[in-house]
Amino acid sequence: MRKILATFINESRLFAKDLAGMALLFLMPLALTVLMALIQDAPFREYQDIRFEILWVDEDGGKMARQLGAELDSIPQFVLIRKLNDQLLTADKAQELVHKGNYKLAVIVPKGVSAEVANSANQVANELGAKLGAPGKLPQRESRQVALEIYFDPVIKQAMKLSLLNALEKQVTRIQAEIILARLENRLDEQAADSSGPGLRLQEKLQAVQIREISSGQHATAELTTNSVQHNVPAWALFGLFFIIIPIAGNFIREREDGSLMRIKMIPGSYFTILLGKLGFYIVLGMLQFFVMLAAGALLMPLLGLDSLQIGNAFGSLFLTVLVVAATATAYGVLIGSVFQTPNQALPFGAISIVILSAIGGIWVPVEILPAGLQQLAKLSPLHWALDAINELFLRSGSILTVWKQLVILLIFALLFFLIAGITESRRRR
Amino acid sequence: MLQIQQLEKTYKNAAEPSLQGLSLQFSDKSIAGLLGPNGAGKTTTISILCGLVKADAGKAFLLGMDVEKEREAIKRRIGVVPQSIALYPTLTAMENLQYIGRLYGLGSTLLKERINQYLQLFGLEKSAHKAIRYYSGGMKRRANIIASLLHEPELLILDEPTAGVDVQSRNMILQFLTEYNKLGHGIIYTSHLLEEAQQLCDEIAIIDHGRLVVQGKPVELMQEQQAQSLEQVFLQLTGSSLRD
Repeated sequence: MRKILATFINESRLFAKDLAGMALLFLMPLALTVLMALIQDAPFREYQDIRFEILWVDEDGGKMARQLGAELDSIPQFVLIRKLNDQLLTADKAQELVHKGNYKLAVIVPKGVSAEVANSANQVANELGAKLGAPGKLPQRESRQVALEIYFDPVIKQAMKLSLLNALEKQVTRIQAEIILARLENRLDEQAADSSGPGLRLQEKLQAVQIREISSGQHATAELTTNSVQHNVPAWALFGLFFIIIPIAGNFIREREDGSLMRIKMIPGSYFTILLGKLGFYIVLGMLQFFVMLAAGALLMPLLGLDSLQIGNAFGSLFLTVLVVAATATAYGVLIGSVFQTPNQALPFGAISIVILSAIGGIWVPVEILPAGLQQLAKLSPLHWALDAINELFLRSGSILTVWKQLVILLIFALLFFLIAGITESRRRR
Repeated sequence: MLQIQQLEKTYKNAAEPSLQGLSLQFSDKSIAGLLGPNGAGKTTTISILCGLVKADAGKAFLLGMDVEKEREAIKRRIGVVPQSIALYPTLTAMENLQYIGRLYGLGSTLLKERINQYLQLFGLEKSAHKAIRYYSGGMKRRANIIASLLHEPELLILDEPTAGVDVQSRNMILQFLTEYNKLGHGIIYTSHLLEEAQQLCDEIAIIDHGRLVVQGKPVELMQEQQAQSLEQVFLQLTGSSLRD
């Protein structure tokens, strides 16, 4: 125990002597985390609360066109612009503005749309009414082809375009269905005018099933979903934590090169106890770095106009999870420091391997959107399991009972790294 | 103090063996020099004695103990001064020595006493709180030796302890080794400086190509080879062709 403590103190002293290195170990991941959260804030919001502007040209002026505009207005994602400089937009003006790239989308509701919807509703109501034996007939004529026109800037994201198309299609279908049902209800009510019972209330009856939004977390509310801060802070904090392999590998190689390792190995007792002291220091350092990043996520991000990081309530589980992750990162550093002979070999490999492991592990983009093959490959990255465990705790209100599998896998990684490092060191003796 | 029997070692991917049946012995509590040109096998021999490299064949005994089987017991009784400055350059001499002393299990009072004693002896007491990287070559060498002395080993093994130091530091180190030996401690050291070995050593072994060339007391060897100096003996026995 004395050796472990002495080594821990010695490593702390070595670290404290390099103030610039110490600052960089905290500042660089912090800068990266903040920057990534800011950069990815817009793409994350695009699917959530970003509002995009749509030029809305109503050449029809009828009830259905007004209703469609009002329905889209009620969707928080869309902002309909009907006037510019106090002048009603025309189709040509809207088309020109989209062409110039001033606006991304324009919707033109051509003249006759409301009349055409009413006509088709009358046709359907008449047909159904006749089959049901209802008397009389609503006015109808031959159908004409009318279409809503959508102009879009080619740079617009497919998801944005699809979002508008889906909303338009849904609202048009709904309005049409409502008109048809209203007409049909009127006709059938007229047929049963002599009866004293209540009306058919078809629309009410067709709204039997509603949709309620509930998050999958045990205690979570629907409001806690992933956002730029919630994804980027833990993800890049883990990335930064794994970068601790650089000082570890450098330290091991330097000690081997300058003969310190030889001196340490000549000291009575197992080298393992000295190694434990070194590992203990780096694990504590890695954990400290990670918690500083979390603190920045919770306190600094709101000052930058971003969401605050939610870390859940399972603090004990979080501590244990970060401990296991830091131990895995440290073990990887020992492996790199053992396998490679020189800093010139170890440091580029170590850094680039972390970038690769983070890319396939879901740090850059969520694993769910990667191709199937890469999703399988992600399982080979310790960063994937680390992020999965953290997300489980933060987003799904998990605890040690729900992240134990990820922690066991991380510990297997750590043991494997130590084993390979041990075999390499013992081969070096031969 | 040291017995080596038919030691053999070939490193992986090496063109030639480093040791080819090396056998030699040094008597107890002597100052013994292990000499040889570059690539003769000196560092490999020291590494095997310290347990850092495993011999392919043969046996080696330090203080009567098998270096393979009784490594832990040997570690307690020997001190090794590596050729390189095996200290943390950003830490002060005091911090380096405190750490090494604690690893040897020395108590705070004894450790403090020993550190002060050796810093004074080696003329480093005024620079005790200065980072090693700001030390001169000679100061680094002296600090490097102190780090191996804190547990006061029975046997001190030094690999080129005076390489690259000024005359004053070298003289001081050699004086210390003589005094330390007088206190009953054995010393094995390797060096390229044959004049230094001639002056310091009770006995020497010259090795080349992983084999023993000759062994004995410096004076006797010079008489045997009819040479004026140990350097002359060395050149006669190992040749004057350049070594890489």
